[in-house]
This record gives sequence, structure tokens and C-alpha cells, in this order.
Amino acid sequence: ELPRPYPNEIPHNEKLLSLKYESLDYDNSENQLFLEEERRINHAAFRTVEIKRWVICAMIGILTGLVACFIDIVVENLAGLKYRVVKDNIDKFTEKGGLSFSLLLWATLNASVVMVGSVIVAFVEPVAAGSGIPQIKCYLNGVKIPHVVRLKTLVIKVCGVILSVVGGLAVGKEGPMIHSGAVIAAGISQGRSTSLKRDFKIFEYFRRDTEKRDFVSAGAAAGVSAAFGAPVGGVLFSLEEGASFWNQFLTWRIFFASMISTFTLNSVLSVYHGNPWDLSSPGLINFGRFDNETCMLTPPSFPLTGGILGALFNALNYWLTMFRIRYIHRPCLQVIEAMLVAAVTAAVGFVMIYCSRDCQPIQGSSVAYPLQCCGIGVLAVCSPPTSAPTGEQPLALLWGSPQLPLVTLSFLPFQLFCADGEYNSMATAFFNTPEKSVVNLFHDPPGSYNPMTLGMFTLMYFFLACWTYGLTVSAGVFIPSLLIGAAWGRLFGISLSYLAKGSIWADPGKYALMGAAAQLGGIVRMTLSLTVIMMEATGNVTYGFPIMLVLMTAKIVGDYFVEGLYDMHIQLQSVPFLHWEAPVTSHSLTAREVMSTPVTCLRRIERVGTVVDILSDTSSNHNGFPVVESNPNTTQVAGLRGLILRSQLIVLGLVPPQVFVERANLNLVQRRLKLKDFRDAYPRFPPIQSIHVSQDERECMIDLSEFMNPTPYTVPQEASLPRVFKLFRALGLRHLVVVNNHNEVVGMVTRKDLARYRLGKEGLEELSLAQT
Amino acid sequence: MAPLRSQLLLLPALALAIGSASWAGLSRSLLTQYGDIARAVGNSSESHNCAKSILTSDRLQVVVTLSAFFNDTWEAANCANCIKNNSEELSNSTQEFMDLFNKSLTCFEHNLQGQAMDLSPNNYTEVCKNCNGTYKNLSDLYNKLQRLNRHGDESGHSAHLCIDVEDAMNITRKLWSRTFNCSVPCSDTVPVIAVSSFILFLPIVFYLSSFLHSKQKKRILILPKRIQSNASLVNIQEKYS
Repeated sequence: ELPRPYPNEIPHNEKLLSLKYESLDYDNSENQLFLEEERRINHAAFRTVEIKRWVICAMIGILTGLVACFIDIVVENLAGLKYRVVKDNIDKFTEKGGLSFSLLLWATLNASVVMVGSVIVAFVEPVAAGSGIPQIKCYLNGVKIPHVVRLKTLVIKVCGVILSVVGGLAVGKEGPMIHSGAVIAAGISQGRSTSLKRDFKIFEYFRRDTEKRDFVSAGAAAGVSAAFGAPVGGVLFSLEEGASFWNQFLTWRIFFASMISTFTLNSVLSVYHGNPWDLSSPGLINFGRFDNETCMLTPPSFPLTGGILGALFNALNYWLTMFRIRYIHRPCLQVIEAMLVAAVTAAVGFVMIYCSRDCQPIQGSSVAYPLQCCGIGVLAVCSPPTSAPTGEQPLALLWGSPQLPLVTLSFLPFQLFCADGEYNSMATAFFNTPEKSVVNLFHDPPGSYNPMTLGMFTLMYFFLACWTYGLTVSAGVFIPSLLIGAAWGRLFGISLSYLAKGSIWADPGKYALMGAAAQLGGIVRMTLSLTVIMMEATGNVTYGFPIMLVLMTAKIVGDYFVEGLYDMHIQLQSVPFLHWEAPVTSHSLTAREVMSTPVTCLRRIERVGTVVDILSDTSSNHNGFPVVESNPNTTQVAGLRGLILRSQLIVLGLVPPQVFVERANLNLVQRRLKLKDFRDAYPRFPPIQSIHVSQDERECMIDLSEFMNPTPYTVPQEASLPRVFKLFRALGLRHLVVVNNHNEVVGMVTRKDLARYRLGKEGLEELSLAQT
Repeated sequence: MAPLRSQLLLLPALALAIGSASWAGLSRSLLTQYGDIARAVGNSSESHNCAKSILTSDRLQVVVTLSAFFNDTWEAANCANCIKNNSEELSNSTQEFMDLFNKSLTCFEHNLQGQAMDLSPNNYTEVCKNCNGTYKNLSDLYNKLQRLNRHGDESGHSAHLCIDVEDAMNITRKLWSRTFNCSVPCSDTVPVIAVSSFILFLPIVFYLSSFLHSKQKKRILILPKRIQSNASLVNIQEKYS
């Protein structure tokens, strides 16, 4: 007997799994219709199919590159416009007094732009919020997140990210590119638009989850490639996320799509900037040229700091997100919150600019490079200087970098309270796009930054970025993390050169790079793909080894405290995510304990009324039904004959000739159903309520033999959990039937049955299911 | 060859000119010295083989190096900006600027005559008051020149003015802002603090009110349909007790 009533309602926590997420139908249903189609298609047609796959991948690459160009160009123009408005206002009021009006103007401008961006996300398409990387990770894992790859989501995402960046939030525009690439891929590969109700009648072979998922992997890789200029990094990102469903041909095609994507972006941006053969912007962010460094020593404190700060960032964001899910769940509240964050970002920036007395003269020409030494005192080894060092340290600002062409945002910084000919360096820090600030932190010569300014900026930006991630806006977190890391890395380099007077360790810019890598690794905890992305972005393979060590150590340190940011958000959204392997101590659990039972089965020749009733049952939302042998004695459990899906049953009932109404004498057989009918109904199958069956029709019998999957994967009930897990994950299954010795159905294993076992702090723990 | 080498004796004169570049203008000095050498090198390169054998006859190739140095410095300093085309005179706008510059310097000297510069460093109010107009004119002219230069040179030429003009302006600015301390003081700290505190206070109000007034989002638990559900039921129960 139970000591107290079972708690029905609990506040949201991260130990729940939601029932609203289904798996993708990756496994192919090899029914008779499919075998028939394969007999019809000859060998040459299969080669055409293969060529079509390559063509689709090329189109995915081109379109993703074009979308990235669009975002870049629009952000550049709108941000420049906003900057001019604010600058004119501040210049006007600096002399006359009344700078508080400038503050109000800036805050209002930010808040209104972000309001538009937030309204479109919160009211039109909530799944476009955030960076999109957690959603794509789930999709590649096999979870069908509703609306994640729709055209409406793409439009909202692109507009949202433009408005978030122009609105001055502490965000980046690279993460949303991955989501955009995935949507483009899902859309193109189907050859039609369900939203726009246009069918181009091409690519009909690819209208199923198996093919769509593979193309979405290519799209995600193209998105990474366009965002960072890292094609191989993109391929590895898709590999890391969708690892078990891999094959060589897919790898080739994904690489093809990524390369085309970065090349398209590069050429279009070069043409736009008036220099067609420049080809210097392979991604939305370029780290600039990194030459080989004589001293590659990175102190171990870097990954330690990165891991700890990353864990702190994630922990703070966790509490904030939990608060938001529990209390700020109405769309209008979400919009107000986003507006407030934008206004506060403006206010913080303004106050820091106002209080900063760090004035520096502006120089646009190249400066001399100092001696490059490694080591301390007598043990120093110095390389010859590239040119004679000047008497006093040259001062450049956060935006004028000697190595890069001044192509984007060529604006003049604020003078504010500085002397004529000098400019407020905190102002440029806050008004620059984060991408430019990161690049400047990497490349500006030593002595360019006042440590106090940099320190205050880092602190403020850390908290702003942590507060901003998780808002109902489209925005990424890569660039803010890189900026925070580059800033404290640079600070560390500066303090090192103060302490070790007389000889210089590596250039502080290189420390900024290592700091950026450490911080990013500490926050997102991606290892392989992130290493390659950063290596490609710096353009120098020599940096690969220190970056890899830093990332791995930061991950180990960070994992000791809390999960990575994206994994944390996936857990908070209660998604049944399957990791690479089952939890290690779970061999004692068998399929019998894991499965759901009793199972709703259908007989091979079944009454239409029973089918409709089962499908209409609202208490359980089953999507797969084992088909058992027809047996006049209905109480006896019969042998398994196949598996049929809800979507297939719906098509049977909906599409002419409405097999449901096939008469028993088979005289009035009209056009037979073909596989094409199933493909046409994919992916948005209507609900059972839209099928009307009269009383007479309910008494008819229907034969499921040619539509069901005659050879579903099964597993004996004594199989251990890791074994079941491996089969399920590696094959991308949606339903796994558990049978006993006599091939009788005893239970069914689905994704939520497996995902609920997790290795927690005290050992194996089980998550509960909840309705969300 | 001898005339060329004798040009090198002009080097000390050139150094003098550079040392006094801050006041007399680097471009003008370069023009007088560079002009001769350029012409000399130009004349000797008419018959190429002869030129080559003369110019490269020594190990250091001094003449070629120096000629290249002058050329590069001329380009980097953008001297062509303030010299009239094909002559050795300053252009009209540069002349106007230099006149104003001299006027400003005269104004400063005039107003400082009564004081010893290093005894009372803070008492420059006279200078600030009297020379304000002249300095403003100079500043405005400089900004105008910069704007014209930027609009006219979109196609990739240097975005800088001639170095003489820039140096002159830099000196004046340093004097005005650093030495005389005539810059604008800030006066409206209080309103800025008030507005920013208000903006920073708004989120706190928002979060508190949503915490107190919003209904917390609850999740309805679903019982799993499994064998041995009693044992797991007890487990889940203990977790929430």
C-alpha cells in the first residue's frame, strides 16, 4: 500500500521527459509497396538518384552561403545607421550638456528593435528562439522537434537574428546559421513547400525521414562552414552530433556542401565589398592571419580558468532559465523581458563609457612589432625583431587593426570628454560588433589596451551575456564566449608582461586566442569539432595542438561541475535525448523492465472500427502498432507478424480509394495504393479526426499485410539495457518490439523508455515522464 | 656619377630639415631635396644599361636605396595632397590652413607673454578665452579638409591629409588640450545617474512581480506503463517526499 498519494503536479525541473517529442522514422519500412517500387526502378534510375543527391547538396551549400551573406550585409547597414544616429546625438549633447537624453535615446532604440525581434519569435514561432544548436542536436539525435525545420522558422530566425544584433544585445549571429542551414536543407531536399502549398514534383524519392535527416546533417555542416569559414569543422560537427548514422558517401556529400557554402559566402562578400578577387571573408567571422609564434607556451591556468568560468556561466544561466520556464512563460512577459535586457545593455554601456577616462589617440597606419622573446631573464630566447621597435608604445584602438582591411563598420569613434584628436576607447569597445572586438583583441599590438578598461568590460560583458542567453530572441552564444575569453586572456598576457619586466612572453594577442578557446570550451564543451573550427578559423595548423589541449582540459574541468550549455538546455526542455552509450552501470536492467506494457496490437485482418477507435484514443498517443496473427480467440496473445505506423494507417483511411471501405468481396477494387501516396502525405499527416467513417464502413475488414513492415526489429525480453540501447541508437529506430520465446509480443521499447535512464551524481537514476 | 654622389652630401641638410619637420613641414623639405635627386636619377635612366651600371656600381647601391626611401616617404606622407600639381608651391587650401595655424600660434604667444610658462601652470584662462575663436576656425577648417579628402578619395588612395597639415593640427591640439587644458568639462552627472539607475531598477521590479504574481508552471506526471511498476512507484515517491 502506498503511504501517501502519488504527486500529480510538480514544478518544472530538469529531471523530466516530455511526451510531446517523438522520434524520427529513420528506419525504412520495407513493405510490399516498397519492394514493388524497387523492382520497377532500374539500375540507371538509381544512378540518377545518386546524382540528384549531389545536386541537392550543392544547392544547400549555395543557398546557405547566400543567406549568410544576406544576414551579414543587412546587419552591417542597419548597425551603421543606428550608430550614426546615436553618435550625432551624443556629439550634439556633449558640449551642451544633457547627455541623459542620449542615454534615453540609445536605450529606447535598443529596446524597440529588440521588441520587434522578440515579438516575431514569441508570437509567431517560438521554436526559433535561442541559437538553434540544441534543437539541431536533438534533430540529428533522432528527435522530432515540432516545427524545427519549417520555412516559417527560417524566416523568423533570420529576421530575429538581424534584429537582435542590431538591437545591441550581447549575442552572436553564428549559432543561428546552423539552424538556418538545416532548415534550408530540409526544405530543398523535399522539392516542395508545404507552407507555400507548391509542389515542384522533383526529389520525390527523398520524401521520408531517412533522407531528410541526412540532408539536414549536410545543412548543419554548411551552416557551421558559413558561420566560421570552417568546412571541415562543419563536417565534424555533424559527425559529432549524428555519429551512429554515418556512412562514407554521406561524409563526401556533407563536405561538398560545406565547401560550396564557404566559397559562396566568400565570393559574394568580396564582390559586395568591391574587391572581387579578395576572397578574405570565408566566414561570418574571420580571426585574421595568425603567424607562427616563437613561444607557444600556454600556462595550465588558462583551461582551468576557462573551465571554471564556463561552469559558472552555465550554472548562472541554468538558474535563470529555470526561473524563466517556471514564471515567465507567457509571450508578452517574454517580450518585456527582452526589451528590458536591451535597455539595460544600453544603460550599462553608456555608464561605462561616461565614467571611463581612458582616452587614446587614433592611428590608422601600421605599427612596429616588438621583439619576440620566450622565457625569463637569462633563459630568454629572442627572435630577431621584424622592424626596429619605436621609442614609445604605439596606441591603437579596438577597431583599427593593421592587418585587416577596414571594410565593415568604418565609423569614427566617440570623442566624448577626451581631448581633441583623442577618442574614448571604452566607447569603441561597446559600439563595435563583438566579432570586430574579438579580432582586434587577437591582433592589436601590445600596449593597445588599458587593463582597467578591459577588466571592467570583461566583467560587465560576462554577466550581460549570461543574462541574454535564453531570452526569447534568436541569438547565439559563440561570439560572446569568444569575446569574454579573449578579453581575460589578453588581460592575463598584459599582466604577465608587467610581472616579467625585461622580457616578454608571447604576444598578448596569442593569449587572447587561447583564452577565447578555453572560455568557449568551458561553456559549450564541444571538443573535436570546436578544435577543428578554431584551427581553421585561425588559418594555421600549428595552433591546433595547443587549442586541442586547452579545449580538452577546459571540458574536463567544466564537466566536473556542471554540463555544457546546450546539453543543459536540452535537459531543461525535457527532450528524450539519447547519448552515445547507455549508462555504464545499467547491465542489470533487462528489456523486460525497460519496456512499456501492455502493448496495443492490431490483427493482420482487422475491423475498421477497431482501428479507428484505437487511433482516436486520446489517453495514449501511440504511433506504432505491432501486427499480430489474426486469431479467432482474441484473448490469446498471438505471434508477431509486422509493425505498422499511425501515419500509414491515416494514409490508408484518407487517400482514395480509402482502403478502409474496401468491400469483402474485392469486386469493387479501384486504383491500388502506391508508395507515392504515402510520400505525398509526408510529413504533415492529418489527425484521425479528419477521417469520417460511417457505421457500415466500421464493420468492414482491412488487410494490413501489404502495408505493414513485415520484418520489424525485435529483441528478446532478457536482453540487457545497453544491448537494447545500442541496437536502438545505432539503427535509428522508433519502435523496438520485445518478444518472448514464442515470438509473442510482450512489450514495446521507444525512445522515452530508454532516455529516462541517466547516470546521475549518486548512480543510475530514472527520469519521470510529464505532460508539457 | 660624381654629381649623384655629391647629392649625398646634402644628407645632413636633409636631416636638419626632418628635425625641424614639425614646424616647417616635411613635405616642403622633401620637395626641395627629393626633387633634385629624382631629377638626377631620372636623367641618368634614359639610357638604361648605362644607368644600371652606374647606379649599381657599389655594394650598398646607396643611390637606388635612397631614391626608393624618398619615394616611399613621399607616398606615405601623402605630400601630393598639399602641393599644387606640377609645381613646388603649396595648394590654396593648405596655404589657407598654414596661415590660420600661424595665426593661432601668434595668438597663443601673445596671450602668454605676460606669464612665465613653467611657473603658473594652471592659469591659462586668458589664452583659452582669447584664442577660442581662432582655434575653432582652425578646427573647423581641418574637419572640412578631412571631409573633402575622404569624399574625393574613395577609390583607395590614402585617407589621410598631407603630413604637414596633420602635424600642425596635432601640435595645436596638444597645446590646446594638454598644456592649456581648455577642453570642455562635463556637467550633467546627476541626470545621467538618475536615468541609468531607473533603467537598471526596472528588471528587478519585473522579476519580482513575475515571481510573486505569475502562476508557476507545473508539470503533470504520467505514470509509466510497465511491469514491476510498484517498485518504481515507490522510488519516484521517495524522491519527492
